[in-house]
Amino acid sequence: MTAPVNEPFLAVTPPAARRSNLLLAPAMIASLGLGILAPAIVSSPLMLTLMTQAVIGAVLATGVGFLMRQNGVASFGHAAFFGLAAYIVALNGKFGLMPTEAAILLAVVLPAILAFVAGLGIVRLPALAFSMLTLAVAQALHEIFLRWRELASGDDGMAVRLPSTLFGLDVAVFQRPASMFVVCWSVLVLIIGVLWLIARSHFGLLTIAIRENEERARYIGHETVLPRALTYSLSAAVAALGGVLFVLYNAFVTPETLDWSLSGEGLIMAVIGGARVIWGPALGAIIFFIFKDAAGDFTEHWQAIIGMTFILVTVWAPNGVSGLLFHLVSKLKARAR
Amino acid sequence: MIQVINGLVYGSFLYLSSVGLVLIFGLRRVTNFAHGGLFMLGAYVSFTVAAYLGFWAGLVVSAAALALLGALLDRFVFRPLAQEDPIVTLLVTFGLLFVIEDVVRTVWGKNFLTVPPPSILSGVVPMFGTTFPAYRLFVIVAALIIAAGLAVWLRSSRIGLYVRASSVDPVTTGMQGVDTDGVSALVVAIGTGLAGLSGTIASPLLALSPSMGGYIIIDCFVVVVTGGLTSFTGVFIAAMLIGQVHNLGIVFVPELASMMPLAIMALVLTVRPQGLAGAGK
Repeated sequence: MTAPVNEPFLAVTPPAARRSNLLLAPAMIASLGLGILAPAIVSSPLMLTLMTQAVIGAVLATGVGFLMRQNGVASFGHAAFFGLAAYIVALNGKFGLMPTEAAILLAVVLPAILAFVAGLGIVRLPALAFSMLTLAVAQALHEIFLRWRELASGDDGMAVRLPSTLFGLDVAVFQRPASMFVVCWSVLVLIIGVLWLIARSHFGLLTIAIRENEERARYIGHETVLPRALTYSLSAAVAALGGVLFVLYNAFVTPETLDWSLSGEGLIMAVIGGARVIWGPALGAIIFFIFKDAAGDFTEHWQAIIGMTFILVTVWAPNGVSGLLFHLVSKLKARAR
Repeated sequence: MIQVINGLVYGSFLYLSSVGLVLIFGLRRVTNFAHGGLFMLGAYVSFTVAAYLGFWAGLVVSAAALALLGALLDRFVFRPLAQEDPIVTLLVTFGLLFVIEDVVRTVWGKNFLTVPPPSILSGVVPMFGTTFPAYRLFVIVAALIIAAGLAVWLRSSRIGLYVRASSVDPVTTGMQGVDTDGVSALVVAIGTGLAGLSGTIASPLLALSPSMGGYIIIDCFVVVVTGGLTSFTGVFIAAMLIGQVHNLGIVFVPELASMMPLAIMALVLTVRPQGLAGAGK
């Protein structure tokens, strides 16, 4: 009768979804407030440093988790976007190509574009091949920055020259744990808020439909490669934002920011936290860092512990800690009734 | 010319490391992320055995030990997860890699270890007006023997028939009454045994460290994806091609050499998304 019409991406959300969107604003304001108060409550600088690292890790994990949630695939290579962003800011400092603010913008946009272009090709592959390729591409990038010593002094890493003010703020704001924690936390909350809206939009629902059954989504008239490539690009941009925060905070970057072990950590955080909900991976990151810090005190076998935990969560709690929390809440609700 | 032979050596090494993955993928439709970890474990086992009984005993013991481990892996990991999304198995074996690394670090320490080649192969062979280490030639020979052995086994034995059938279409194969669970313990054991074997063969060429497994697996992934995941011929051609190009890359553009295998892979996948010899989805 009628030809299938492709609705525009990010079309108007249905009314039901819009009502629950109202919950987003208070939730975000509360989380932002909590973040601003945190440095006042936590006075230990060591703890604040750890918390800042955890939140930067949480940004990376949120990117990995969003891809898992919307596309149903696991990326083993998100460090590529994280590290690339960090190196773009660092190299701009070295060569002085543009204002740092512009470099930061580029550091988010360029990885997103690269991911989009690569995504057009690799999202068509079976999920397993996709995972293998993300890993291989990221590692190749790592090798370039490791070997090309003239560009970025290889393994030694490079100190990053930053201007004295950034976005109108003293650069020290980004390097003191107490203030940087607030910056990172606010960025994380905003990312989660935006991703939450996207996940509930027409576009978000469409990608979930494609994840569930690509062929059927195609039969009812949807283009299926583009939405997945866009999701991949979006999750790359989130990881890149993590890289930007990392480089501003540390003012130092090494090829380790591109290494597969960082990609692996991002994936571990996302799985442990549970990618079913947007904020699950961030929760996973915080658990991961607390756990790592605590385990470091009494055992050398941190790696085996995290490996075993990861296996157990994957097999017995595929929705992660956030999934378990939801389960618990719904049980309590049922009991209260 | 010597460079071409070096490329053959590297290609052979890639083939030996990757073929076990193809074997397991063909039957089980899962990717064993821990394959690199098993490769590393094989290298370490043979390091210890070789210190007492010599290289060749190390080779046999390490392949046998890893094959046993593979049978356990099939029984307690792959089989219970057979009904799940293959991503689950990928993630679980990813976690296993961490455990294996930790075990190796605990037993053997985190310092680099080196393994001398067996004395019979420690010399050099004159070739094209220069000399070439005999052990490197042995790597090529070993790859050819394994490739030929697998080909014969897959073409002439009943289990080989099952494996070939299953790697074309696992569902139909199951419907024809082939007990894939029954043969898979053996096939996975051979796959991981090959990981142990290749770890041992590679050990005189590499410095052993607990983190090597994570890096080897990346090269293997590139090879098997290029080769088409399920094809034994594909993985052989892909390994040799990538070995050759990578090696020439090291000679002419060292900074970009590590990109070369990826460039090949991107090229192959653009023309044939299913890989060199893959059978589609």
